Amino acid sequence: MNVAVCVKHAVDEGELRFDPAGRPLIEGAAGKMGAFDKNAVEAALRVRSEVGGEVVGVTVGGADARKSLKEALAMGADRGVHVLDEPHLLNPSRTSALLAASLREAGQFDLVLCAEGSSDTYSGLVPPMVAERLGYAYVGYARKLGVTASEVRAERSLEESIESVASPLPAVISVVSEANEPRYPTLIQIMQASKKPVAEVRAQDLLSAGGTHSVTIGSMFAHSTDRKRIFLEGTTDEAAAKLVDALRKEGVISV
Amino acid sequence: MTGDVWSFSENAAVASEVALAAEGLAPAVQGGPVVVEVGRARDGVRGGGERLVLQGCPQDGPAEALAECISRAAKSLGPAIILVGATREGREVAARLAVKLDVGCLPEASRISSDGKTVSAERSVYAGRVSATLTSPLPCVVTVRPGSFAKSTGATGTVRNYDAGTPEVRVRRLGSSRRETGSVDLKSAKVIVSAGRGVKRKEDLPMLEGLASEMKGALGCSRPLSSDLGWLSEEHHIGLTGVVVKPDLYLAVGISGQLQHIAGMKDSKVVAAVNTDRDAPIFQASDYGIVGDLYQVVPALRKALSARH
Ligand SMILES: Cc1cc2nc3c(=O)[nH]c(=O)nc-3n(C[C@H](O)[C@H](O)[C@H](O)COP(=O)(O)OP(=O)(O)OC[C@H]3O[C@@H](n4cnc5c(N)ncnc54)[C@H](O)[C@@H]3O)c2cc1C
Ligand SMILES: Nc1ncnc2c1ncn2[C@@H]1O[C@H](COP(=O)(O)O)[C@@H](O)[C@H]1O
Repeated sequence: MNVAVCVKHAVDEGELRFDPAGRPLIEGAAGKMGAFDKNAVEAALRVRSEVGGEVVGVTVGGADARKSLKEALAMGADRGVHVLDEPHLLNPSRTSALLAASLREAGQFDLVLCAEGSSDTYSGLVPPMVAERLGYAYVGYARKLGVTASEVRAERSLEESIESVASPLPAVISVVSEANEPRYPTLIQIMQASKKPVAEVRAQDLLSAGGTHSVTIGSMFAHSTDRKRIFLEGTTDEAAAKLVDALRKEGVISV
Repeated sequence: MTGDVWSFSENAAVASEVALAAEGLAPAVQGGPVVVEVGRARDGVRGGGERLVLQGCPQDGPAEALAECISRAAKSLGPAIILVGATREGREVAARLAVKLDVGCLPEASRISSDGKTVSAERSVYAGRVSATLTSPLPCVVTVRPGSFAKSTGATGTVRNYDAGTPEVRVRRLGSSRRETGSVDLKSAKVIVSAGRGVKRKEDLPMLEGLASEMKGALGCSRPLSSDLGWLSEEHHIGLTGVVVKPDLYLAVGISGQLQHIAGMKDSKVVAAVNTDRDAPIFQASDYGIVGDLYQVVPALRKALSARH
């Protein structure tokens, strides 16, 4: 079974810095593999160990995105595809078009694994867009997967229910974080990862026929909410009474 | 360009919110708001303007079929903007629609405006640390973050039936079970007591539920409690990947306050937190904090609430 897994080199939200006007310094911001994308890689590796085959990691991003691809290779993916594009475009149409085009070039896939959402610009749109573009079936928010040669069965985690489904292959699947516990690569695996093949494709070569719908970023500013940050001290009973008092004074509880 | 503004959600409550967003946006594109319903118009869905009822399509999805039906209607009727509630099913509907119609897509909008040529949507990115305004030319699909708009109270206008045919579906549903842990409407709760990993066992949740109900509030939780442990349904899950809430009081109990959680409650009026760790980030995002063991502090709070004053 040929499995592709889409990993994003996401902005590390914890490391993000701001200029004095409150605008985030996106250019040059530290990145890391999307937290849930590790679950997608883990799911791909488990499929391979059950039914055999190859796991190909695919990323769309700037030069830095190579780091996340390497991490997927260190976890156990066999080879990588790096679509070199401008980073941080916030445009799922473009990202999905590039992923679909590069997957068509990279081989015949039975399964394309993604995560439910990217950790920096969570939208959950890229995986179903890739499915629609490739004409594959799609199963979103899978928390359990069972793959045979001809179909995939999955348990989907929806807001109000758990749904079990069967889908023909090829299919795009997005997984939720409770699907598995991602493995940590060993030092040896990390060293070996740099010997695994990575194909680099330029975005403009994949989408030569024309771009995708543009998304322009108008403004970006830091959310800030000022909080009082008052610690209520004393014994447990004293602190609890102080809190109840304070909340009554604020008028936010009516008891 | 001119055209109507369509709104759709497979979830009836969210559909009324998205309908309100469409009502607000329609004048900018010199069109009317249209509530799109699949199979039949649902009683619980409010929204001013036309009801476009798509015949032929299975009423309860799946998303693949919903997207195909809506796209068929859109190709012949040409709406300027299609708003879709950003639920787990809705995101698939929106994504497929945008590709089928070959139009742009703006995700997770909490505010939307248009100048008649483009549509702009405000959304939060980078785990809620940043608010971004994104713009795309019309026509465009926009996914709308549930909880961002109030529910429309608009009256139903004309009903228009459209035969969208019966699309082919590849993914078969084998079964569906409602989550055992019940549902809750956090969006309308004035007080939310929210439980985190500091709670050791599922059996301890009634203690927090008791505190919540004594404050006339509801119980919410961090992602691990619903998603990983399954102690509460996903409707309780607050944050980036769950619901966004803005109660008068948000009381975080045993929650560390990671960015993704804060993203869902930062607009609460007053935030209070109970945590054993004085350095937990939740205290930075709180008005009032008690450093202590929730197993002692929660009973003490309940006692203090019942004390005469
Ligand atoms: C892409 C992405 C999206 C995410 N989306 C969400 C989301 O929407 N919502 C969400 O909640 N999380 C989300 N997360 C997960 C988030 O990053 C945190 O892992 C999660 O919020 C932690 O939950 P917690 O605070 O309950 O647990 P922990 O971080 O484990 O914190 C437990 C806290 O309890 C305290 N504690 C322990 N014992 C006691 C006691 N006896 N009394 C009092 N305090 C005690 C500890 O000091 C600690 O601060 C997301 C993560 C990613 C990567
Ligand atoms: N730039 C990218 N490169 C590779 N995969 C991506 C990229 N963006 C999104 N994905 C995949 O799509 C999933 C959902 O992303 P999103 O639609 O941005 O929430 C991610 O978890 C990845 O699996």
